[in-house]
Amino acid sequence: MKKAIALLLAVVMVVCLCACGSSKKADAGYLNVMLSTNIMSLDTNLATDGESFELIADCIDGLTQMNADGAAVPALAETWDISEDGTVYTFHLRDAKWSNGKAVTADDFVFAWRRICEEAGEYAYMMDSSVGCVKNADSIIYEGADPTTLGVSAPDAKTFVVELDVPVSFFPSLMYFPTFYPINEEFYNGLEDGTYGTSPKTFLSNGAFVLEDYTPGTASLKVKKNADYWDAARVKLNGISYQVVGSSDSALTAFKNGTLDLVTVNGDQVDSVKSDADLSKSLNTVGAGYMWYLTFSQTENNANGGQLANQNLRLAITNSLDRESLVDNYVKDGSLPTYTAVPPQFAASATTGEDFSADQDMFKDYIGYNVDKAGEYLAAAKAELGADSFEFTMIYGNNEGDEVAKVAQAIKSQVEEALPGVIINLQPMTKAERLDKMQNDNYDVALTRWGPDYADPMTYMGMWITNNSNNYGFWSNAEYDAIVADCTTGKYVSDYDARWAALLEGEGLVMQEAVIAPLYTKANANLVKGVSGVEFHPVALNRVYKNAVLG
Amino acid sequence: MNKNVPVTSAAEAAAYVPQPGDFAFLGDRDINTDHNFASQGYWKGVIIHFFRNKRAVVGLIIVAAILVLAILGPVMNSYGYKDIVAYTNADGKQITAGSLSPRVPFLHKLFTGDDYADSFADRTFLFGTDALGRDLWTRTWQGARISLLIAFVTIIIDMIVGMSYGLISGFFGGKIDIVMQRIVEIFNSIPRLVIVSVLAIVMAKGIGLVIVALLLTEWIGMSKIARAEMLKIKEQEYVLASRTLGAGSFHIIFKQILPNTIGPIITQVMFSIPTAIFTEAFLSFVGVGIVLPQCSIGSLIEDGFNNITTLPYQILPPIVVLALLMLGFNFIGDGLREALAPKLEDM
Amino acid sequence: MSKYILKRIVMALVTLLIIIFLLFILVRIMPGNPFPSERMSDEQIANRRAEMGLDDPVLVQFFRYMKNLTKGDFGKGSSLYNGAPINTVMTTCVSNSFRIGGLAILFGTFVGLLLGICAALNRGRFLDGFCTVVSIIGVCVPSYVFLIFLQYFFSYKISFFPYFFQSSQFFFSSIIPAVSLSLLTLSTISRFTRNEMVEVMDSDYVRLAESKGMYGSTLVFRHVLRNALIPIVTVLAPLIVDLLTGALVVEKIYGINGIGKLMVDSIAGDGVDYNYVLALGILYSSLYIGIMLVVDILYGVLDPRIRVSAKGDA
Repeated sequence: MKKAIALLLAVVMVVCLCACGSSKKADAGYLNVMLSTNIMSLDTNLATDGESFELIADCIDGLTQMNADGAAVPALAETWDISEDGTVYTFHLRDAKWSNGKAVTADDFVFAWRRICEEAGEYAYMMDSSVGCVKNADSIIYEGADPTTLGVSAPDAKTFVVELDVPVSFFPSLMYFPTFYPINEEFYNGLEDGTYGTSPKTFLSNGAFVLEDYTPGTASLKVKKNADYWDAARVKLNGISYQVVGSSDSALTAFKNGTLDLVTVNGDQVDSVKSDADLSKSLNTVGAGYMWYLTFSQTENNANGGQLANQNLRLAITNSLDRESLVDNYVKDGSLPTYTAVPPQFAASATTGEDFSADQDMFKDYIGYNVDKAGEYLAAAKAELGADSFEFTMIYGNNEGDEVAKVAQAIKSQVEEALPGVIINLQPMTKAERLDKMQNDNYDVALTRWGPDYADPMTYMGMWITNNSNNYGFWSNAEYDAIVADCTTGKYVSDYDARWAALLEGEGLVMQEAVIAPLYTKANANLVKGVSGVEFHPVALNRVYKNAVLG
Repeated sequence: MNKNVPVTSAAEAAAYVPQPGDFAFLGDRDINTDHNFASQGYWKGVIIHFFRNKRAVVGLIIVAAILVLAILGPVMNSYGYKDIVAYTNADGKQITAGSLSPRVPFLHKLFTGDDYADSFADRTFLFGTDALGRDLWTRTWQGARISLLIAFVTIIIDMIVGMSYGLISGFFGGKIDIVMQRIVEIFNSIPRLVIVSVLAIVMAKGIGLVIVALLLTEWIGMSKIARAEMLKIKEQEYVLASRTLGAGSFHIIFKQILPNTIGPIITQVMFSIPTAIFTEAFLSFVGVGIVLPQCSIGSLIEDGFNNITTLPYQILPPIVVLALLMLGFNFIGDGLREALAPKLEDM
Repeated sequence: MSKYILKRIVMALVTLLIIIFLLFILVRIMPGNPFPSERMSDEQIANRRAEMGLDDPVLVQFFRYMKNLTKGDFGKGSSLYNGAPINTVMTTCVSNSFRIGGLAILFGTFVGLLLGICAALNRGRFLDGFCTVVSIIGVCVPSYVFLIFLQYFFSYKISFFPYFFQSSQFFFSSIIPAVSLSLLTLSTISRFTRNEMVEVMDSDYVRLAESKGMYGSTLVFRHVLRNALIPIVTVLAPLIVDLLTGALVVEKIYGINGIGKLMVDSIAGDGVDYNYVLALGILYSSLYIGIMLVVDILYGVLDPRIRVSAKGDA
């Protein structure tokens, strides 16, 4: 009996081990890249996350594309003319083909742009009067007007004309954002409702790669080189094989193992990478664009009857935070401590080339790590509010990255240490719930983030105008509102330098009143091996592979 | 009336009148007690049996030791469970003791002849520190407190709610069983995360919410086991005998059947403890469990697992404590099982 | 018996209906928004709600949902994998999770039973102690830690198995996750088998059988195991459901596109996706109810003394 059982056990083990061959090697000429979250959608109207945008941009070209420095250079539009007053753009398209052999025409753009406005998704606002200022976009998106009234037209198959309400200085750089990409109308209408972009068969590309293997929600997917791409000579990769990896530790081992060639690791892994001579050569830290900051609810619904409406109290908190320590000891992946409302590294002036927030000391009167000053502000706040101790709840997302919980705990520890009498209770929740609470004004302090959608400071500055849905502090300042209005549609739209100066002035107001407490600008600690020429950008498209070469 | 029955004569009947004192009590004399085998209460027997079992005693010692460490551990050194060990250097930069491997300075010096070469050379961290620079010794035992609490709550839930529910459902059978089993199905089918999220609207997040969440779902496994045991046993002869003698249903369930089902029930309790500990960790993971910087064994394992290949010492203490705890509980469980139902052992 | 089974099936359907209704209500009171957005205006969100019919009375929504459900249509997601009909997303997830979970169940049950039997037959000896230790390690070390170890040794140190799950070599790349997932089942089953068998072997009828000269496999399988199986089947049933419906962390580490991750994404991702929660809830409860049905019927087969329906009217 015992022997029989032992024999059976042995047979099971042998079968389990041998029923398989040995593992196959990955496809030749493919780059193996890690994704940190699943691809949510390949539909430009529905996609909302960086990973989805990256994959869409692999497969579809827009009017312009990003060069290695992040500037807009021609893609499908060979050239473009701008009218005298800067409100009419005429794009001249080059000969390009969709992957089903049809030519890419101006009608494809007209169709796609109208669809974006009509279906009014998350990124439709890129067309409205706060960003792109495409004519009539507002009335279509927000009032349901006829989409054919949108200010776009196709005089012929190779000419695409866009009319704007006001000149938009950064308009060409918007064109590389997936919201503005074309879709082939005939192909789209031939699909069953809701199936566009859900499989290689239901998705057309005109870009460097075509979709090879994809299903919604999949953890591994592939794109292969598009032989019919108009610039096919430039693309050296045979394809890209993406793998969703949920744990940074696992990503590191997969990288060491050679399973993946390009991974992003967390701060904890960065330490061990740095201590390894070989691995540290592969480390490549690049700005990820988005900024983490604290926002304070300033209404009387929260924070014990609106204690955080007190400017001194907010200034006390923002001056008690040691941002250097946050990034050095807790985030550890090369993120930058940030002391400006608009983070550095993504918006450079078109005239001087200087970064909008290059000078991180410009608001040092209001923000910094200064315990004595924080104490003075706190004393003032105590006197003004007639209270001796303050207790707030800080909400943060627990599904927004490993370092968030660490940063939250560090903030609690720093604030409580520097400001006696202030207690911060932590309250983790899902991102969905956090957003819900912030939008419904049901929180005291929130740890939140914002990533730039386009390369202009307005992508941040637009958030703090009165009644903006991202103005989570419910702060309202007429002077600030006027500055932002002047810069989007008002007197500064055609005077680049004056607009730049006005934006700086507005940023000063935000910092002076401590509407938010900026913390750090996120960086991605990437490990790259066996490939060169992958371009990393902090804005719009995080990774571009058109110039990547293996070896 | 049968007239042939001999009737005692009246004379005879009158001859003797019973007197008080004809029958006397034998007083204290206890002739029914067996003096050869000394009397012993049931529970006394259980205790004796339990302590005679070496493994059970080892289990008890392990659990007791962990309990003592959980109570004393966090106060045995100067670090609080939420204190980040840090100092500010000459440049005004804060340096934290993040991710230090276990260290005892004088031992290190003894073996290598050198001091540690960093700014925390004179500090002792028995289990090292976590990524934030908090002492893992303190946090492990602080976490053990929460996890022990959860373990005991689970035992209580299992034993009281789950067991009674299953036994009653199985015993009565028929319509009662059908309705009770449908209720179980409904409870078990709604994803726990949904229940807890909805609960979180009305309750503050924290250990209280975790306990209520466990209360709502943890008993189900046990009720299934208890019901299955009941179905197996209730048709046996001694139950029938008991019923024939007029025993009430609840007497039969809890006094007669329960002791005979104790084996699988104790096994199930032991197995539901780690499940509960991990449920708590999962709830913390999705943001409805204990609130940081508080910790539990489960949340420490969750933390450590992020660095398992680079900093394995971080996940080791909580896993070892949990494994020891489980080992202890299992030994105790085995011992109890054998002590409560002594048929397993030769008397 | 067939009348009883039929009755049980009808009852199961009614229970399922109640569960769907409860879930339908519960997801609507959960915190979090079905249309999470940082950029859309209130009107845009209101339009989307209206499009999904979320402004209608709950009962109207429920009947509409049930009507679509009878046609096999789970609807569309609101925030998760926007636009793709749920069926297309679920098909892959369900097939991955079922196949990996199925492997894990087979492996766990089989090895668990073997270990349990060996331990019971060698009570108090080395094998028994070994079995105890294995089962304790199996329950208190989470499956994802096993996964990491297996991945580390068999995919990293020696590149035998693929480092991540690959649907193109399904069986081969399922072994690591299936084995690590099966350990909880393995230990639970082995422990229960051992304890139950020990108990049964001490019972009078087994002693009688032994005294009649019965020994070896006939005794073990015909008399002991059969009687020990009832609690084992009971423990196994919920484990099967849990294994089939995926495991979040294992899926995340090994890159499996499975149900566990989908469930957590639909509840605790960027938004609360009503239709996904419902679809997965229905999947889970039908599995659970179905398996419980089988278990109840099995009870009668395993032990003829048990007739669940003996009393009452059922």
